[in-house]
Amino acid sequence: MLRGPALLLVLRRAARGGPAHGRHCRRQQKREQSSGSGSGSGSGSGSARPQPLEPSLLRFLVCPLSKRPLRYEEATNELINEELGIAYPIIDGIPNMVPEAARRTHKKPPAEGSEHS
Amino acid sequence: EMHFGFQTVTEEERREKIYQVFENVAKKYDVMNDSMTLGIHRVWKDMLMHKMNPCPGTLLLDVAGGTGDIAFRFINYVRSVRQRQLQRKLKHHQNLSWQEIFESYQKDKFNSLGDSQVVVCDINREMLKVGKQKAQHLGYSEGLSWVLGNAEELPFDDDKFDVYTIAFGIRNVTRIDLALQEAYRVLKPGGRFLCLEFSHVSNPLLSRFYDLYSFQVIPVLGEVIAGDWKSYQYLVESIRQFPPQEELKAMIEDAGFFKVDYENLNFGIVAIHSGFKL
Repeated sequence: MLRGPALLLVLRRAARGGPAHGRHCRRQQKREQSSGSGSGSGSGSGSARPQPLEPSLLRFLVCPLSKRPLRYEEATNELINEELGIAYPIIDGIPNMVPEAARRTHKKPPAEGSEHS
Repeated sequence: EMHFGFQTVTEEERREKIYQVFENVAKKYDVMNDSMTLGIHRVWKDMLMHKMNPCPGTLLLDVAGGTGDIAFRFINYVRSVRQRQLQRKLKHHQNLSWQEIFESYQKDKFNSLGDSQVVVCDINREMLKVGKQKAQHLGYSEGLSWVLGNAEELPFDDDKFDVYTIAFGIRNVTRIDLALQEAYRVLKPGGRFLCLEFSHVSNPLLSRFYDLYSFQVIPVLGEVIAGDWKSYQYLVESIRQFPPQEELKAMIEDAGFFKVDYENLNFGIVAIHSGFKL
């Protein structure tokens, strides 16, 4: 199972359909994971029920990697990019639209991805 | 490889360190702004809004907007423009009955912003939290949204916004060229790019006093008020490292903007750069 920087490279490659450019993408990965942003557990933050997303925002938001539209999943309070198979969490009503915060949605792998398992 | 203030760091270290700086200062950010600039930052931001002169119905993207200063000013501005619009409309209807006047106030109460909207985008969670709390405290809710995102990789579609602002934020972006390209991408054709940032003072005498104030007073204020000398040391160093007016103008032109110009405020301590996507 790919994770971390390797995961980001695969996603960027898939988003562009070509070799990943040499961008540094590890910036926030460790911090986001360790600050308990719940990137793996979806909605369960342990505090009050998750705040819903401002509906007008959905008009503007796209995936920062592929710039393609997202689907709002109410159950897990996430924004899902079906093509790349990733989900961005919404924490305290603020969508977290940095690639490092996205998690894989465990569906079948993206068409051109070189996933194993 | 890159600079963090006067230190040399890798690109990754720089992003990490800058995130830390703003995480540390978030709660005291506004207080520090008032102390360091003796309240003058409010005037600078007011001047930015005045230059923008938005009309109701404008869609604004405020990047690195953290604690919401620009967003709140925008909402106040369009609200008052809208008020004046409504008053003028009423004045022209000379023979309305009281019932009709009453109804017109009702109708327009639900549109006090005239469909204007501002999206605040920042990479730092702590700054956004402070901003959101401020908004609740001051009673701003309509027409305002918050997004956590990276200026170099914006989560917005092409040709969406009328105005893009970045106030005292572009200095902290690691790849300014990418941020400018993204700004160009998300603006509608005819949209305006506005950047409010510390810049270079050319007057040598003033420059001496400014340096003295920056390096001797500001970090001390930072320690006394926010308990954080190093973050404010970074702040004053990063101002010296940032490109001067003409160089930033060239970078903005490189991203594809036209009619790029700048206006110095306070002899170049701060400058507003403006460009259009045509």
